[in-house]
Amino acid sequence: MPDPATPPAISTLNLTRRFGDLIAVNGVNLRVASGQFFGFLGPNGAGKSTTIKMLTGLLAPTAGRIEILGLDFADRTADVKRQIGVVPEGLALFGRLTGTEYLTFVGRMYGLDRETTAKRTAELLEFMQLANEPRKLVTDYSHGMQKKLALAAAVIHGPKILFLDEPFEGVDAIAAGTLKSMLQRMIARGATIFLTSHVLEIVERLCSHVAIIARGALVAQGSLDELRAGVASQTPGTLEGEGKWTLEDIFLRTVGGTRSAEQELSWLG
Amino acid sequence: MARLTPPIETRGQLAAIASVRWQVFTHSLRSKRGALELFSRIAIGAVITCGGLGGAILLGLSAWYFVAHGKPEALALLLWPVFLFWQLFPVMATALSETIDASNLLRFPLSYPAYVLVRLVYGALDPATVLGSFWLIGITLGIGWARPPLAPWGALVLLVFAIVNMMLTQMIFAWVERWLGQRRTREVFAVLFFLAMISLQLVGPMLSRYGDRSNTAIHWAGRFANPVQAVLPPGIAAGALASKASVHNTTALLFLGALVLYGVVILRILSVRLHAQFRGENLSEVLGSAADRTIRQGVRLAWDLPGLSRESSAVVEKEFRYLSRSGPVLLTFVTPIVMLFVFGLGGRSGTGAGFLQNWPELGLPVGAAYALLLLTNLIYNNFGPDAGGIQFFLVSPASFRSVMVGKNVAHMGVLALELVALCIGVTLLFHPPSVTAVLLTLSGLLFAAPINLAAGNLLSLYSPKKTEFGTFGRQRASQTTVLASFAIQGLIFGVAALTLLTARSYGRQWLAVLAFLALAAVGFAIYFFVLSRLDTLAARHREVLSTELCK
Repeated sequence: MPDPATPPAISTLNLTRRFGDLIAVNGVNLRVASGQFFGFLGPNGAGKSTTIKMLTGLLAPTAGRIEILGLDFADRTADVKRQIGVVPEGLALFGRLTGTEYLTFVGRMYGLDRETTAKRTAELLEFMQLANEPRKLVTDYSHGMQKKLALAAAVIHGPKILFLDEPFEGVDAIAAGTLKSMLQRMIARGATIFLTSHVLEIVERLCSHVAIIARGALVAQGSLDELRAGVASQTPGTLEGEGKWTLEDIFLRTVGGTRSAEQELSWLG
Repeated sequence: MARLTPPIETRGQLAAIASVRWQVFTHSLRSKRGALELFSRIAIGAVITCGGLGGAILLGLSAWYFVAHGKPEALALLLWPVFLFWQLFPVMATALSETIDASNLLRFPLSYPAYVLVRLVYGALDPATVLGSFWLIGITLGIGWARPPLAPWGALVLLVFAIVNMMLTQMIFAWVERWLGQRRTREVFAVLFFLAMISLQLVGPMLSRYGDRSNTAIHWAGRFANPVQAVLPPGIAAGALASKASVHNTTALLFLGALVLYGVVILRILSVRLHAQFRGENLSEVLGSAADRTIRQGVRLAWDLPGLSRESSAVVEKEFRYLSRSGPVLLTFVTPIVMLFVFGLGGRSGTGAGFLQNWPELGLPVGAAYALLLLTNLIYNNFGPDAGGIQFFLVSPASFRSVMVGKNVAHMGVLALELVALCIGVTLLFHPPSVTAVLLTLSGLLFAAPINLAAGNLLSLYSPKKTEFGTFGRQRASQTTVLASFAIQGLIFGVAALTLLTARSYGRQWLAVLAFLALAAVGFAIYFFVLSRLDTLAARHREVLSTELCK
């Protein structure tokens, strides 16, 4: 149980983002306690990426407030950014550096001294199995290698909160294993992880808490058990016992997903 | 060889590509930035059209004169400048030239001939082709005005000449891109370049030694150059026109055939590159995994530059690594040195090509001004090469002020290196630059550089455009930036010229130095004011930065 006196790692109040007439995120109130492995789910276009962009400073909210570790993001931007690590959707890599040069650059940009930067760079490259090709440019890395490098860069300064936008997308099982191993180490050491993913099995296996967003609004938030109980109480008798509900079931029930398999598409053969 | 008539499927694909480009263009107008881009494009287009029309009138009148006065062979004198401009301008002014990235098309069932057509057609939409075409139309009209029966033949020959030019430009671009794309070939290219420079250095002393026999040398050069130029495309095109004018129809046809043959050979050489790209070639920078496995070096310590914060030092280091790995950018950096040699050795007194021989004192200031001008391509679009890396700057705690300081220091470091190289070049070609020339150059740069940096820092936030350092011809900034750059350079050069002329009228050059230093104080005040506002502006424009650079 989180200490009530400790401020939540992430909290938002009426977080809203409009793009012209479109309300991409509408009055979202998130609360993520310190040390949680938090999964943020939603169908395509629900507002997941917009939300994570606002939480990491890539996008300005139209309205609402964001607090990270009790600090107001708008007022204490630099202080907040020192506490967080981010793997954005585009990975934020510099393609014409080598992996070593990139991590060295990132370490220095987070204010680490030269010796610490060099030591952590070497350790991270070794851990991520990227040390074998020191002269290879990032642009020539495979997608999985780029994801591993992006994660290494996000943690080099020892952040208290890690934001990951689709970290497992396009990653093979071996690279995914390395990423998961790194994330579990961070959780074990008290860090908070906030991730978005379409791979519900991974979220179910890794995350202790989940929030679901649909059409810009938060439709569910809590621990997996709380969500199972909530869905079971709304649809009694559907499955025998709430323990049978998978995250996919919860997700589909919550966002009201239906499959359009009845469409013709006869030309597909 | 490509089929001349594309099948229906190919025509549909080409129409679809044209349609998509049109849709992308119209959609871009939905934003204010897109509308501004269109306005800038129209303004730049108007300038180019004026240049094209002016040149066309001048060349048309000259063509009329030569043909009307029975000297059609002198048309070579008009076709050579057109040819040289067409080929050199895209390389020398990458800010205005752009190759298209056709790699996205490879996933579609596009035939190779269609791919070649797309590359040729869309690759031809650049200022050099537009201006060159205008000028050739002017020459055609001039020929037709002087001798109307010669007009159809003139139009045919110059049309083939234009096609040869277009393909040759693309061929040079494609091959230079290939040579500069990889470290190994880049190094070979650099060695060849420096060998050429050393060879040129020998010409200077030779000209001074045998200066008193210059007429003989010029006659000898003329005797040697004339046959050489006659077998190159401009000379052949002029030959075709002159032969027809002299009613030597067979010879004229032979000349035209030779020109077509040039086109075929150029297309064949271009096709080697296009075919490699069509097969999905990737110009990787990696040295090879076998080499990597044996290297496994330890992590070197980051740069720590005195007087700069950790963040700014890191950015300087990153910028130098980026620049040193970009063949196209390195080529841009050596261009002022090349131009120094071209204008220093190109001819004798009174000719435009060798004007620095008449005023060697101008070598350093003109070279420095040109170096700064070329550098604005980078300065005015600071985040272009970073592309998706901009997201890192946005999420990192480092201030944009320190990031920009790092970038500005790196770019000024490049300028300093260029100044040293120019000083060496001027010394080798003529004599060491005088103290006055050095002081004028340095004070002038102290005035021009901070203003350019301030403007560049602002435009980098307001009008960013993703560029590719690794690919030749993909370093073009947005049209808004190019237009703004023209205006700022016009202002700076105007003020500098006024200052120099005023000082000259008083006969005291040091007055110009003092005036430049006073202007530099204003320039630095503007620079630091802009720097102090950068974080606020970056926060306000983070969406534009993210959207434009992560495309």
